[in-house]
Parts: sequence; structure tokens; C-alpha cells
Amino acid sequence: MSVSGSESAASANKPKYSKFTQQELPACKPLLTPGIVIGAFSLIGIIFVPIGLASLSASQEIVELIDRYDEECVTASDKIGFIQDSKANKACTRKITVPKPMKGPIHVYYQLENFYQNHRRYVQSRSDQQLRDKDYKDPKAVAKACDPEATTGDGSLIVPCGLIAWSLFNDTYAFSVNKKSVTVNKKDIAWASDKNSKFGSNVFPVNFQKGGLIGGGNLNDKLPLSEQEDLIVWMRTAALPTFRKLYGRIETDIMASDEITVVIQNNYNTYSFGGTKAVVLSTASWIGGKNNFIGVAYVAVGGICLLLAMGFVVLYVVKPRALGDPAYLSWNKEAAEYSH
Amino acid sequence: MYALDPALRVNLLGLSLICHSVVCCRVSPLQKAQVTSLVRKGARKITLSIGDGANDVSMIQAAHVGIGISGQEGMQAVMASDFAIAQFRYLTDLLLVHGRWSYLRLCKVITYFFYKNLTFTLTQFWFTFQTGFSGQRFYDDWFQSLYNVIFTALPVIMVGLFDKDVSASLSKKYPQLYQEGIRNTFFKWKVIAVWGFFAFYQSIVFYYFTAAASQHGHGSSGKILGQWDVSTMAFTCVVVTVNLRLLMSCNSITRWHYFSVAGSIAAWFLFIFIYSAIMTSFDRQENVYFVIYVLMSTFFFYLTLILVPVIALFGDFLYLSLQRWLFPYDYQVVQEMHKDDPHEYSMIRLPERSHLSPEEARSYAISMLPRENSKHTGFAFDSPGYESFFASQQGVCVPHKPWDVARRASMKQQRQQPQRTGRS
Repeated sequence: MSVSGSESAASANKPKYSKFTQQELPACKPLLTPGIVIGAFSLIGIIFVPIGLASLSASQEIVELIDRYDEECVTASDKIGFIQDSKANKACTRKITVPKPMKGPIHVYYQLENFYQNHRRYVQSRSDQQLRDKDYKDPKAVAKACDPEATTGDGSLIVPCGLIAWSLFNDTYAFSVNKKSVTVNKKDIAWASDKNSKFGSNVFPVNFQKGGLIGGGNLNDKLPLSEQEDLIVWMRTAALPTFRKLYGRIETDIMASDEITVVIQNNYNTYSFGGTKAVVLSTASWIGGKNNFIGVAYVAVGGICLLLAMGFVVLYVVKPRALGDPAYLSWNKEAAEYSH
Repeated sequence: MYALDPALRVNLLGLSLICHSVVCCRVSPLQKAQVTSLVRKGARKITLSIGDGANDVSMIQAAHVGIGISGQEGMQAVMASDFAIAQFRYLTDLLLVHGRWSYLRLCKVITYFFYKNLTFTLTQFWFTFQTGFSGQRFYDDWFQSLYNVIFTALPVIMVGLFDKDVSASLSKKYPQLYQEGIRNTFFKWKVIAVWGFFAFYQSIVFYYFTAAASQHGHGSSGKILGQWDVSTMAFTCVVVTVNLRLLMSCNSITRWHYFSVAGSIAAWFLFIFIYSAIMTSFDRQENVYFVIYVLMSTFFFYLTLILVPVIALFGDFLYLSLQRWLFPYDYQVVQEMHKDDPHEYSMIRLPERSHLSPEEARSYAISMLPRENSKHTGFAFDSPGYESFFASQQGVCVPHKPWDVARRASMKQQRQQPQRTGRS
């Protein structure tokens, strides 16, 4: 028996040692001790409550006025017939009183309810390549993407095609404050990335709304798509069936108790499917529009965490357990029960 | 009469199951297999058989788990077995250390996998209620495809490789911890229901908090976010939360865990920065174009990214804290008992042995004498250390045989190599 020979044979068979393969990596072994639990909850509470209060205070300063007008603007009994009649006078005047001073710029939105811009067949009914590239004319691909609003009756292509563009919102609002009219700035209402890249500056509307049925507003044939900001805003499909989209901005301030008169051209047909329309005026701050939700959520979570921190302190006092007490091992507990 | 006879077999089994241990001697290979099958089928327990020679092959194959010892008698047992070890004493490690860790890791990986996919899918599910049930997808196609491949894959592999509830030496010191596997503590319906409940809760948080908070204009420009902005925001929250949840459920966190979790979240951001910056003709629609840059220009993004994962993980954290305090698992009590122990791998290198008593020092010196290599490993019960194996299990200290000590002390001195494998 040669010890040295078998030694080197054994070491030749021994696998190469590394901390990774032998699972000896240095590791941190976190334990949820009472200190860590209470500390974590307190920390979250201490951080979240101030953030929540800041958000809430920013949100409370925002003045938001919502005026639903679709019901009262159509007095005829056959609402759908009225709205589809192209010769009827659809102007409607609404009065809104301003409760608190509103600092400009004041954002004007239109808000729709029960309008499913997130419906599957609606969302996919567009051709982004056609929107940005004027030379894109593959009829089969366009038809596949935009059916049923891809071509006119005689087969010529519609630009921009698809149901989203076809259903463009076309109510208009004209504002006057205390009988003096104010202009609505309709520039820069769409995100810059959409204007610069997604909608071509050399693509013009062709055959728009000539597919048979008219679904919404018309487009100015002389303007390229990148300047049709209403269309761009409309085509950024909303996530939920109740949504609002930016219509424009009023750059001046409005004082408290001023009366705003809105002359609405009530063109858009939401009556066929039970949708509602409203006009919204809102100031904006760093947090955006009036959104109590985030502030409330932060304060609520922070408050609950602080309460839980105190609750855990009470729990650790009322039901103490020495850390690492062997009596809690299940075999010791069974032995204790057995001996009784 | 022949004890394995069908008429007597049941009595034999019943008697054997009452005993602590049963010794069958002078058995042929076929009888070994028959005894194993008797216990396997009759008692409906999980059986393990271990052997080193060709005569053990049928027994190894008859049991649920067959272990072969490679060595003096050749490799037939090894070739027929499920696991092969080099010395009989490695069986302790195989069962109590690696087997137990393997069970723990498997349960964690499987339950975590279901949890992360359930969260991801349920978040989409709530969206369907608000699309008129038309089946519009909430997430972009590439997000869905890459979720399980890039954004959440690596951390769970790290946990499956490295997670340890207690160290190897403690696993052997408290062999009762093995009962957790026998009782199926970590894969009961109750455990899965808890994971499922939190997946449900988190999906509600993800969907409603991001959707509800996006209804209004954002930023001082008052512009509105669209559907793909909301879904990218929700997806970001899902990826961040799911990865952080994994860290919360780890018992030991190595640097690979940090790398993989941070790397997965970073991979998501890298992906979305690149994906939303390009316009390709492969994407049917350029829905997600520039979405992340638009989102990151609003305060909404940062406020939501801090708020939503915290709310989502809040429930899990509360549950884990309460469970550990009020109904601790055995391994958690053991962890707490030994939380101040020095790191186990630093103990091997301690140079001074002054804390050993003279007997312990002598015993240690004897065990450090050069050993026979390979010659005694195949004969499981024949090697010098093993007469005392069962005695030491009962706590009785049996001294080394003097002829064995003398023989080993007279062997040529070899250079000592630190022994790692198999020794605690």
C-alpha cells in the first residue's frame, strides 16, 4: 500500500476548491428582530408623512372646476338625431362661477366618461408608420392595421387612417371672463416626443372622414400632422374609460367670483353610447392637476406605519419572547406537552 | 418459516416498524431488495438505501432514494444509485445539510415563481374590467415576454443556489430541523395560500394606484398620460417590488443576491431606455415610443415609484414580522439562538487552541494524524472511526483503539492539507 501514491491520486480527484462552488460565500443573515421591525415602520412613517403633506398641500391649492354639459346642452327629445343633424345649431352657453382665484396658465380639458379608448380593436386601429412617413403607402398593411377606416369607398387611402383618428373629438369652447373674451392657447398641448417624431411634418391629411360614416371632427388639409395638436392629443389613447384630454390653456389669471361664460359647439356624439362630456378648468402646480390621491395615500401609509410601530412596541411588551429561547423549538414544546 | 413469505410478511413489517432499528444479517441481494420493497410499499414511507457493493444494487434500486458509496468494492453501486458519496460518514451531510437545504430552496423557488407570475398577471387582469372586456393587453408585448427571462429570472436562481437557513454545522447540531421536510412545513396549502393572497393584494395596489393616480394632468404643463404610460409605470413597479420581495424572503444574502437584484432592476431600466428610444418597423405599433422619458419628466413617476413598492411590500413585511414573533419556525429559533456566532468559515482558521481541555487537545491531535486513504472507505462499518459512530450518536465517548493510534503515528508524515469537504 503506497500512501503517497494514493494521496496524490486522491488530490487529483478532489474538485477544485472555490468559495462559489463550495457554497461558502460570505453572507449577511438578516433577522427580523423587534428593533428592525419597529425601526423600519417608523422610518417609513417619518419619511412618508411629510411627503404626503407636501403633496396634499400642493394639491389643495389647485382649483378645479368641472362642468358637465352634454345633458343640458341638447334640449331636443331625440338627442341622437339632433347631434347627427349637420344643419342644427349646436351652440350652447354655460356659465361657471369661480370660487377661488386661479393663477394662470389655466388648463382647459375636455372630460369624457364611458368612452373606451382602451378597447382592443380601437387601440390597434392605427398605422404609426403612415402617420410619420408620407411615402408609406402599402395598401395591404394599412388596410390590415386600420380596417374599417383604411380606405374610402373607391379604394383610395385615408390619411390618417384608423378608428382612433376617425373618432376625433370636435367640441370647441370659446371662453369669456366677465363678458370679456379670452383666447385659448392651443399650442404645446401635446407631448414634444409625439409632435417631433411620431407625427410627420410632411404628412398631410388626405380623404379624412370620407370613408362613409363621419366619426368625429375634421382636419385642416393644409396643416401637416405634426401641427395638428388636437389630433395628436386625441391619439394618445387613454388608459381608462373616464378620461380627460388637454384642450388648451388660458394664459391670464382669473379672480374669485368672476363669471366664466363658455360657448360650446356641441358637435361630438356621445349620446349613441351613453357617454358624458364635461369641460374642466384647472390650475397646475409641480404635482400636476388636482390629485389628492397621492397625497392621501402617502399620509395614510405613513400614518398606518407609525401606528404599527407603536402597535409592535405594545406587542413586544405584552407578548414577549426572548430571542433564541430554546423552549420555542417544536421538539422541546412537544416534550413539554408530553411530560404533562 | 421464511419471514418474507406472504403469510408472515405483514407481521414482520408491523414488528419492524415498532422497533428503533432492525438488523438483517446474512441476507442475499434479492432479500435486501425484498425487505426494502416491503417497507416501501407496506409502510408507505420514503425509503433510503445505502450500499457500496454489487450486492447492494438491487436494494439501491428498490428504495426511493438510493445512495452508492464509491470505493474499494468498485463502482457498481455508484452506477445504480441516485446519489454517490465517497465515505459513509458523508451521509450525515447529505441528509441533514444538503438535503434539508435543497428542500428549503426548492420550496422557496417554486412558491416565489408562482407569486411573481401571479402578481404580474393579476395586475393585467384588473385592467380587463375597465376595457369593456375586450381583451386589450395592459402591458406591451416585449415587457411580457422578457419579464420571466431577463427582469426577474436571475435573483431566484441565486436564491435556489445559495440560500441557507442555518449553517452546515448547526444543521448537524440540530438534526430535528430535518423534521421540517418530513412534515412538509414549507409547501403546505396554507403557505401557498398566503403567497397567493399577497400576490392578489399587491396586484390590486399596482393596478389601482398607478391607474387612479394618472387621471389628472401631470407636471406644470398639465399634459395627460396615456395608456402605455400607465402600463409602463405599473410594470416598473411590478419589477421593482417583485425583486425586493425576494430579498425579503432570503435567509442569507450574498453579494450575488445584491448583484442579481440590482442587475435585474437595472436591466429593466436599460431595456426600457433603449426600447422606448427607438422606432422599429418590427413593433406593430410604436406604442411605447419615448414613454419612459415622458414619465420621468413628471413628479408622478418618482412619487409613485417610492409609494407603490412600499405599500405592496408592507403587507408581506407585516406578515413576516408577526409570523416570526408569534409562530416562529424551528429554524428561525435556531437562527436567533446562534445569531452572535462568528461566521462558520472563520472558525477553521483559529490558530490558538488554548480553550480545549487536555483530553480534547489529545483527541484533536489524534484526529489530525495522517489517515489511511481509500483503503477503508468502501467497508462502511469496518473503518476504525466507525465503531464509535453509533456510540457518539448516543453521546458516549469511545476512545480510539491504541493499536490504530500507534499505527497511524508511525506512518510517514505527509504535508497536512486543510480538509474541507465533508467536515464541519
